[in-house]
Amino acid sequence: MQKFFSSRKLVIVVVCLIVSFGLMTLSVAIRDKRSTPPLVQQFGNDIVGFADRIVAAPMNGIHHGFVSTKNLLNTYQENERLKSKVDQLTQTQVKDQVLTRENKQLKRQLNVGSTLTGYEKINAAVITRTPSSWASQIIINKGQASGIKKNMPVIAGPGLIGTVAEVNKTNSKVVLVSNTAENSNRFAIQVLGDNSKVVNGIITSYDSSSNRIIMGNITSKAKLSVGNRVTTSGLGGVIPKGIYVGTVSKVAQDDYGLAKKVYIKPAANLNDIEVVSVAVRD
Amino acid sequence: MKRKVPIAIYFVIGQFIAFFLDGSISQALSGTLFKYPNSMVPCLTVLWLILAAFFGNVKKLHLYTWAAVIGFIFDMYYTGLLGVNVFIFPLVVYLCQTVYQILPPNFLSGFLVYFLGITVLVSLGYIANAFIGETDASVAQFLVNTLAPTLALNLVLLAIVYLPIETLYRTHKQ
Repeated sequence: MQKFFSSRKLVIVVVCLIVSFGLMTLSVAIRDKRSTPPLVQQFGNDIVGFADRIVAAPMNGIHHGFVSTKNLLNTYQENERLKSKVDQLTQTQVKDQVLTRENKQLKRQLNVGSTLTGYEKINAAVITRTPSSWASQIIINKGQASGIKKNMPVIAGPGLIGTVAEVNKTNSKVVLVSNTAENSNRFAIQVLGDNSKVVNGIITSYDSSSNRIIMGNITSKAKLSVGNRVTTSGLGGVIPKGIYVGTVSKVAQDDYGLAKKVYIKPAANLNDIEVVSVAVRD
Repeated sequence: MKRKVPIAIYFVIGQFIAFFLDGSISQALSGTLFKYPNSMVPCLTVLWLILAAFFGNVKKLHLYTWAAVIGFIFDMYYTGLLGVNVFIFPLVVYLCQTVYQILPPNFLSGFLVYFLGITVLVSLGYIANAFIGETDASVAQFLVNTLAPTLALNLVLLAIVYLPIETLYRTHKQ
């Protein structure tokens, strides 16, 4: 029988391992920096992205058909539920308009330019999702050409779903908050607690078994209860203030009993995303 | 008479379609496939490669080169983490082809070899991702929540496409 590890094969295996680790380290280093991937990689990704649209379009069409049928079946109940909310919504909307105008006027009077809350949206469609258990990533069809930059927050439906991790010319990768990597998802967020007390903190991890975002290391004594709303705080970096993240579902002590750990139920459904908006701070 | 399209063309086109379908299926069925806490990952790209290793001529199709190329594109486009699948794909193809040659060529041995191939693929992927801190899942969680569902899904997919692909390769054999 032929020896499995002949010296030639052994050399090939070792060289492959070294190259593999080298490339892995390189790509982690690139991802952690603010820079975009090398031009060659961007170019490759753009070409693959174009080809992908041809395959993805019919697939997404079929999926869309199924979703539409499902929605049609639920229409009656949903309609009943929504009717009750409509009146309330109009009222809020009108009030919102008035307040926005008032806010603008007051800002002008005070000579305050743009604050942390202002942002514009760039809408994009989801092309595909990374077929991997580890990287919770989706790929969207807008890139540098549309003004998207790395680390911008991405919103789908009611709330935040993740941040832009890699930008190519015409597509970009979005890492969802459900990613468990050590070096992702450090959003600055705040909880509007009882008695309008605000608790600031950052997202520290994600609990994949129960689908909860965890905000750790809270030493504030302010009382938080289930159902309190969580938004981005706009502190530190490119993420604007006031993007809805989710609601508090549980408040627990951390492992040492020194600080609090807040479990947050994400507002957006992370597993059914078709269209997203990227928030660009003014 | 019409000229016959060579099998290599079918192979390459099918390869890219399988590659894009992986992502599209993950996206369209993400509610089912990635339901917490399990994750089933479709591996149609590797399925296509392994079936080519079973039925086709590995030398004529330049199978290892294509496995490395598609692995590289996979890394670049889907994960953004270079140097993982570019080596895992050819390795899995090599393993499957070597083992399949020893066994009698029928569906059952193909099934078993494919089982082995997917296990190696997913496990090596886990090791690589754990190495760079991309995942914090423990080995037990990995076995129960990722490997088992992924195997189940991919074996079903194999059972569905086995016969059509075998027919495709058989009709194109000179």
